[in-house]
Amino acid sequence: MQSFIIAKKELTLLIRDKLTATVLFVLPFAMILILGLLLGEGFGQKTDDLMRISVLNLDKGFGLNNKPWAQHAIEDMVSTPNIKVEIIQSKELAEELVKAGKRAAVIIFNPDFSDRVNECSFLSTGVNPFHRDGIYLEKLQVSIVKDNKQPATSAIIESVCQIALLRIVMPWMIGKAFEKLGDPEFIELLGKEVSLPVPPSLRLLIPKDKIPLGELLQLASGKDVVLAKNYREKVGAGIQTALTGQFKNYNLTGKSWASLTRSVNNVETANTLTTFKNEDGTGILKRGAIRYQILVPSFTVMFAFSLILISGWIFVAEKRQGTFNRLLSTPVSTPRILLGKFLPTIIISLFQIFFLLGLGKVLLGLKIGLPSWGLSDWIIALIVLPLATSFCVSSFSLLIGLLSKNETQLALFSSVPVCLFALIGGCIFPWEMMPDNAKTLAFLTPQGWALDAFREIMPSSFDTTTDFQLIWKSTLVLTAMGFILISITWITLGRIRFGNS
Amino acid sequence: MTQAHSVILKIENITKLHRQFKALNTISLEINRGEIFGLLGPNGAGKSTLLSILAGSSKPSSGFAWLDGMEIQPNNLKLRARIGLVPQDFAFYEDLTAKENLLFFGQLFGMQGQALTNKVNEILEIIGLDDEKAHQYSKYFSGGMKRRLNLGIALVHSPDILMLDEPTVGVDPQSRNRIFEAIKIINAMGTTVIYTTHYMEEAETLCNRIAILNHGQIIACDTLKNLLSLTQTTINFSILENDQTKAGILQQKLPELKSELLQGSYSLTSHKNSTPDIINLLVNEKIQIINLHLDSPNLEKVFLSLTGRHLRD
Repeated sequence: MQSFIIAKKELTLLIRDKLTATVLFVLPFAMILILGLLLGEGFGQKTDDLMRISVLNLDKGFGLNNKPWAQHAIEDMVSTPNIKVEIIQSKELAEELVKAGKRAAVIIFNPDFSDRVNECSFLSTGVNPFHRDGIYLEKLQVSIVKDNKQPATSAIIESVCQIALLRIVMPWMIGKAFEKLGDPEFIELLGKEVSLPVPPSLRLLIPKDKIPLGELLQLASGKDVVLAKNYREKVGAGIQTALTGQFKNYNLTGKSWASLTRSVNNVETANTLTTFKNEDGTGILKRGAIRYQILVPSFTVMFAFSLILISGWIFVAEKRQGTFNRLLSTPVSTPRILLGKFLPTIIISLFQIFFLLGLGKVLLGLKIGLPSWGLSDWIIALIVLPLATSFCVSSFSLLIGLLSKNETQLALFSSVPVCLFALIGGCIFPWEMMPDNAKTLAFLTPQGWALDAFREIMPSSFDTTTDFQLIWKSTLVLTAMGFILISITWITLGRIRFGNS
Repeated sequence: MTQAHSVILKIENITKLHRQFKALNTISLEINRGEIFGLLGPNGAGKSTLLSILAGSSKPSSGFAWLDGMEIQPNNLKLRARIGLVPQDFAFYEDLTAKENLLFFGQLFGMQGQALTNKVNEILEIIGLDDEKAHQYSKYFSGGMKRRLNLGIALVHSPDILMLDEPTVGVDPQSRNRIFEAIKIINAMGTTVIYTTHYMEEAETLCNRIAILNHGQIIACDTLKNLLSLTQTTINFSILENDQTKAGILQQKLPELKSELLQGSYSLTSHKNSTPDIINLLVNEKIQIINLHLDSPNLEKVFLSLTGRHLRD
């Protein structure tokens, strides 16, 4: 009861201190809003993560296995390590994205792409797509829309396109050519071109030094047309078998790169094929922008822990003013006095978290939770996790406030949990922008755990599931940290003397 | 012992050490119920230290104190409810009104409802912060008003014993009188008062008994009258320099007379009981007196005579 009286007083004082209230509630949201408007769509995405290749597939034909050749090309790119393929929905969008500088280049597989690939052949009648440096894109009905301001990136994208096309066209052409080895026309040609020496014992029968293979087969068949054809086919099959035996590391009839090279695709492709989504938000506030999914949890956690400074300051001010000694002269036990200081920090922290999440949801179109969530999931996300975070914040506030004898000490002591931990914990620079081992370091801080869980309840557009195990783990760690800090406070309390000595 | 029923606070051999420094040195005192007891001493004498021990805010290094037979210890919450402490510094919430401050501390002492409201209104009247002042944020108060609020908070729970640590530091005479009046009212209502000050006038005006502290020790403790009797009234007079031969006559006839040449006149000092003799002698010898001043005894003099230094040194 007495703790509640003290807590009520603390809240009254805070409400009356309009500047502090502004700092607690308005400032974090203002920072989210300003950064949200200033930062681009790429905020929070790791630059060296995967090379994004944007593709527009307009191909209307069919190729190998009755699948459009454009699909084969896309699958080839998806199977390439360190590349993710993004499907663009329309030519207008592709041009708009390139024009806006949001994409360096977009590869377009035009409607006749499959037909043109089908026509590719080593035969003189076929389309020869090759040149010294690669493939004529225009011959295959492939075009690339490029941003001239990003020449390096667009050159890389074009190279990726060239390699992918080589990997689908080349085996296709080789396979087709290999099949041609069994064709009667080819054997006919071979029969004319290959002449064999006539042994002396047969000179009486064949009065020539050399005889063309074709004639020899004709003689062997006794001029039987059917048998002659049969022999020619056997020669074709024999050549194919011989070549297969000779180049046994390759499947010359495979027609695809994987078959030709007898290789297995080991690349994980689950997350490397995406469809373009406009994540830049709409309206003046860029409502629904993906960056808010990073900014809101980051600033919510950062400002929750900045309460350490404010609560600590109230504590120090109370000690300096002598009101703390006065409280100690009342018949209220010290633990109850501390509880009275502890409760308002939890209440303010919870209110601040809900304020930011609520405003983020309403004004910024923040996505919280997934449609699949049940009631218990919402309770964990919006009650258990914020409570654990606030508990940890309040424990920290109490300890720092108790340890600090004056404002200078408070500023020094709280700069570690408020600023340094926020930086390490990923609240200032998202983990995606930090080195890989930074996340390991982040988990040394309560901010790191809190942020990890808060980001889980505010999923990105690609997330389809929520890792509640992670949220529970973070919640437990934050609670444990809170209890450890309270224990330290309790031990410290016994060593600190208040009042005039 | 016959005084047992009237002793509310008993202090026995209290010593307080700050590292090697003895802030209090074997203090023993008995304070009677209903009296205003003064603790007089210069800054650093140990008054606040003693008060904080008596209020249960800190522990003595050795020794004991009892309030109505109950040992005073920092964690004794029941005792805290019987003590009203007025700290030297302002100790209230400046963003709360005077009334809110009183209500808040009253609630912490377990008061509630109409009883609390009535008590708060009564205190506001006693300390002169009733009417609209009661509803003003205390940060807008003058120094004197803040002092009065500081006092009022200690009174809200009707303590048996009120401990005031230099409650008039930096206040105007009007507020000082108001504080004195409030203390007298509270005392008249039966509250025992311990009043620490380094202003001897305050101790003289308010206190029934006074303990003089110096360097953590009680060097005297008695009623004002008895303390004053430790020194005597002196008479100071000056005669013209050219009457120095007559000064010699005075010196001859009044050997206890001390004389010194000061700014062209003789300053002569004697005890009060020789005043008529001196006056007669001066008239008879036709000695021209420049000025004559009767210097009555006071606590400052008592302190000076006991310690060899002034209270405000």
